[in-house]
Amino acid sequence: MPRVRPSIVVPLVLFGGGGLAVLGVAVFFLANAWFGVPVGAQGPVQPIAFPHTVHAGAPAEDGTGGLGLSCTFCHRNVEQGAAATVPAVEQCMFCHAAVGGTTETAQAEIQKLRDTAKVGEPILWKRVYRLPDHVQFVHDVHVRLLSQQQGVTPSETCSTCHGQVETMIKVTQVRSLKMGDCVDCHRQYTAPTDCAICHY
Amino acid sequence: MVTPRRDRKWQFVVDMDRCSGCQACVVACQAENNIPINSEAQFNQHRAVEWIRIERYWEGEFPNVKARFLPVLCQQCGNAPCEPVCPVYATYHNNEGLNVQVYNRCVGTRYCQNNCPYHIRFFNFWEPVWPESLRNQLNPDVTVRSRGIMEKCTFCVQRIRRAELDAARTGKPVGERGSEQEVGLQPACVQACPTGTLVFGDLNDPEHFPTLAKLVKHERRFRLLESLGTEPNVVYLKKVDLEAKEEVHGA
Repeated sequence: MPRVRPSIVVPLVLFGGGGLAVLGVAVFFLANAWFGVPVGAQGPVQPIAFPHTVHAGAPAEDGTGGLGLSCTFCHRNVEQGAAATVPAVEQCMFCHAAVGGTTETAQAEIQKLRDTAKVGEPILWKRVYRLPDHVQFVHDVHVRLLSQQQGVTPSETCSTCHGQVETMIKVTQVRSLKMGDCVDCHRQYTAPTDCAICHY
Repeated sequence: MVTPRRDRKWQFVVDMDRCSGCQACVVACQAENNIPINSEAQFNQHRAVEWIRIERYWEGEFPNVKARFLPVLCQQCGNAPCEPVCPVYATYHNNEGLNVQVYNRCVGTRYCQNNCPYHIRFFNFWEPVWPESLRNQLNPDVTVRSRGIMEKCTFCVQRIRRAELDAARTGKPVGERGSEQEVGLQPACVQACPTGTLVFGDLNDPEHFPTLAKLVKHERRFRLLESLGTEPNVVYLKKVDLEAKEEVHGA
């Protein structure tokens, strides 16, 4: 009689096919969590349906495209500090005090912005990219290095991690931004890979 | 490619002759590094977290009693006893002379704490809590350590990193605080110390850290438990005591 390993027999006897099914489901979810698209890949629903396509999209010949604003026009702190920062409501109102939108949906969304500005409260944007608490990421040094290496303006380096935001109606996370993702790039540019560079 | 980093060796000098035991460094450290508030019960259990502490000793008999103060922080040993005992490589030595604690690797075995002769490693026995009024006081540059994780003084590595980034942006070198020509660098305890007891700097860069370079070679120099061979990166300067009798040790 061939020798049967008890490690296989015990769950089979105990749970029969059901045990295997539970195991299979568990393996599926674990594999999905590890290899699948990251959480938040659908992108959160924002309090105001802000279209990056209209603001940052490339302008077309017939005037239908976007405004072609560079990323740093609104995300002003990206070259100065750790956080890229979302602009203040006042900054939106520089234009939107006059610009009211052409379509009905746009007008409704811009009205939300104007109401917020009247109350004097910030807009509670939902975060799309979030790193764990034990990771310290600084935007300015990454933007400066990439723009120097590739010989492009700082605004053109954003797509390295954030994808083609100017074509996204709803912004979604395009890279996993797990540690392997960071380290791959750090190795490629011979940037330091010491733990205490990011974890402290 | 990224320009290679400067070869650093961060070092502390503690001049015991200047220390008045005021505990300003302790408070500054608690605030800077998101250290939870220690209760009396935690002190009694020996579970209080203090990355820097002032040890107080009484010397002599009444009425000639003298108080001696000894600030003790992580010695960032060059030959650290805490490192080889970690089973998950959560504490290791980097090329800046820092003994790094990687919180996300730590599994909380506490071997490092048991092997540290200076008692400057602290275990989070509880989830950290702060009163509501201090919620906005937390430093965003420092990880809030959760329950089950070992922690210790980092030489304020977040300030080192910030100074390096400021230096890269402005083109000025990192150096001692006080000059317009350089990006000033001080850990929180050094900044808070009213008597200038604590001096911090890069031993490999005497040009920009002249005070440290001078004091490190001082004749009053000693290091804590030097006989253990841990090669600490904290140098202490002996108290000047004119009334003290000349004692010959080990004679």
